[in-house]
Amino acid sequence: MYPLRAKVNETYLKSVEAIQAGKPAVWAMLNFYYGDPVLKAMDVEVVYPENYGAIAAAMGVAREYLDRADAEGFPTHLCGYSLTTLGYASRMMKELKGQIPPEAPLGGMPKPLFLMSSAAICDARYKWFQALGRYMDAPVWPLEAPIPGIKEFFIEGYYGRMVKLGVKHLRDFVAFVEKMVGKKMDWDKLDKTANLMIEVNRVWHEINELRKVNPCPMHSRDFWSAMPAALFLAGDLEDSLRLYQDMYKEVKDRVNSHIGAVPNEKYRLVFAELPPWHSLSFFDKLAERGWNFVIESFGYHPPIPLDLSKVSDPLERITKFSLQFLVGYYEDARKQNVLGGTSAYPYLKYAKEWKCDGAILHPLISCRSASTHLPYVSDMLMEKLKVPSLSIEGDIVDLRLFNPEDALAKAEPFEESMEHYRKVRKQEGLDW
Amino acid sequence: MSDKSKGLNKAREIYSNNSQRARELKAAGKKIIGYPCVYVPLELLTALDLVPYRTCGDIKEPVTEADRALPHSFCPIMRNCLDCALKGKNDFLDGMVTIHSCDPQEKTARIWESYTNYPYFHFIDMPVTVRPEALEYFKSQLNDFRKTLEAFTGKKLPKDKLEAAIKSYNQQRTLVRELYELTKPSPPRISGTEIVQVVKALTSLPVSEGNDLLTEVIGEVKSRTDVPEKKLTRLLIWSSTLDDADIMQVFEDKANVVMNESCGGIRAYRAAVKSTYDPLEGLASYYLNEITCARTFRQATPGETGKDYARDLQSRFGYLKGIIRDWKISGAVMLLVRYCDPFAFEMPSLKDYFDSIGVPSTYIEYDYTTGALAPLRTRAEAFLETISQ
Repeated sequence: MYPLRAKVNETYLKSVEAIQAGKPAVWAMLNFYYGDPVLKAMDVEVVYPENYGAIAAAMGVAREYLDRADAEGFPTHLCGYSLTTLGYASRMMKELKGQIPPEAPLGGMPKPLFLMSSAAICDARYKWFQALGRYMDAPVWPLEAPIPGIKEFFIEGYYGRMVKLGVKHLRDFVAFVEKMVGKKMDWDKLDKTANLMIEVNRVWHEINELRKVNPCPMHSRDFWSAMPAALFLAGDLEDSLRLYQDMYKEVKDRVNSHIGAVPNEKYRLVFAELPPWHSLSFFDKLAERGWNFVIESFGYHPPIPLDLSKVSDPLERITKFSLQFLVGYYEDARKQNVLGGTSAYPYLKYAKEWKCDGAILHPLISCRSASTHLPYVSDMLMEKLKVPSLSIEGDIVDLRLFNPEDALAKAEPFEESMEHYRKVRKQEGLDW
Repeated sequence: MSDKSKGLNKAREIYSNNSQRARELKAAGKKIIGYPCVYVPLELLTALDLVPYRTCGDIKEPVTEADRALPHSFCPIMRNCLDCALKGKNDFLDGMVTIHSCDPQEKTARIWESYTNYPYFHFIDMPVTVRPEALEYFKSQLNDFRKTLEAFTGKKLPKDKLEAAIKSYNQQRTLVRELYELTKPSPPRISGTEIVQVVKALTSLPVSEGNDLLTEVIGEVKSRTDVPEKKLTRLLIWSSTLDDADIMQVFEDKANVVMNESCGGIRAYRAAVKSTYDPLEGLASYYLNEITCARTFRQATPGETGKDYARDLQSRFGYLKGIIRDWKISGAVMLLVRYCDPFAFEMPSLKDYFDSIGVPSTYIEYDYTTGALAPLRTRAEAFLETISQ
């Protein structure tokens, strides 16, 4: 798994070099596989301000950008990543006339050719790029991202209509990118890119399935390290596929040899949602107590595999793959009559199938979309599976809000709770 | 002595006890369907003889029950609405229709459906752009909504009934615009606080009763002698929701609020549903294109490959220029409900727009509680003092 992480880093630096050498760059939101293959097939360098916000926070330069965004009139309770980008854009465009700020970590983000936003998950992800129009003349393409209700999804013809929207929308997006980049789409390349994306994610899914065994061979930290190549399509996809295949073998070997990701796995946990990127060593302390994080972050997980080999139009294949990220869980959720949790239901599945003793929930003060469903997740895990949760507040850029010492102090009482509910589950006939 | 069962008094009465009429109709055998947002096409409910009832929040109600379902740092209006539902204040509802007008609406819909047990519950997905494929998808969403309502009521929806309902709601939109014409004089013939009460009353009445009420109110206001006191400033308030008279009164103590551009004011009434062969087409177009909420992504030209900030501002806020001219607005308040992301992202750009047309403006934030009234008053008075100098 470490070569994959190294490859992601290498890819990022290559991308920075290419952009610094004058190659046009696009700023993009995480879009759940929808727009990325189009940009990749068009050989466009992509930077993700969401990720850059996390980097700026971890490297201690976010504060200046947050202050600038505040001074520009953006309310401070907005998404921390967005405020970082808005402050960055203000500094770059108003103060430095388009030059990358010298203090910007990892080469910075150059002025983009255009912006690709996404309506998936939250309002911030398209309003934020719209707000950037105050600083730069880059046009924005907002990618639509339908979010059906769970029971509504099963109305006759619903899925087909979502696909129709997606394909038409993507076709227009391709035309937009062609105009912006000044070249035509290579449809064979897009076809190949789509297939590689799907296969990379299928292997990645299979790796995570291996984590169901006891002891779990792979920790959430390794998941978060390895996921960018599948989720953001970072790097060359053929390289990524090979590396994920290697990773599968590595994890499978660990399964066969009964090697756990932590020395003495005492508790199996699920983590929701975004990790404290700036304090990942926190998990090492918990590992010393035998806490193994065996599954995590629904929003970063690959879609449940779907056979799309008979879909000839790459745009339709991409659309169906992207939709699968969300609706892949709907049939199960409907059967379980868990109608309320588009983003919450997967945690029920995770806790049950990965046999978790507890859940760590990480509500984020400035990322409401990754936090809103967490009280419901907690309720649902207890009601249906007798799995207790521990909520630890934090933020995506304001490091002061996450207190690892305080969180660690809660570990022992939470262990008592997990022990208690093991007995309760047994009494109720649950098998872990 | 004025008749308490008519006009403004009646509106005030309904505003103060806004579920009363719905409860009466329920007792008389009608089915009442709740909705939390003005994006829900009420025409479809009315055409099937269902009574729409807007499930508003109540700033006087401390949120307690919703704490177990939603985090604190979340849209306070939706927290408050859900809290009221969980406390049984909407126990007369036969169903709920929710819509993906914004992230909090979408997220709360999931939770609402999980923690309640209405015989009918439907969620309408809504695109964020006004592109043709988005419009087509939204129309299909309205068609699905129609199908679920037909299944719930056991009745087919005839086209002529839907057209009649559209006509009634268009009449309501015309009447609300007519009401707002009465804020054009100086002093205005009706206060912003009174209009909040009237508009909120409309959302808890069947459309025909709402139209009757509006007709009475307009007649009364046109002939009244006790018009509101003239203040130094004619204010426009731009907000996601301003549906509480106490909040409006904070501003009206020192100004005449002649335009409430929020979904507690004129926003849902500024345009009309166009007549189309397929009525769903007209409805989809109206609800997606015409309601000027910040949740919709608007561009000077859809799919534009270049960007000009001035044109961009015009496409997003240009409609305000006519309002400012026609209502002789002398100051604008951008009133943000805390944690409302779609509106929060607009603040600096809208300020730029107001600056570009020479209207002094300020941004004020509050959290939809009575505790917010005092700080709100301080901020409002400071702004009004500044612009009156």
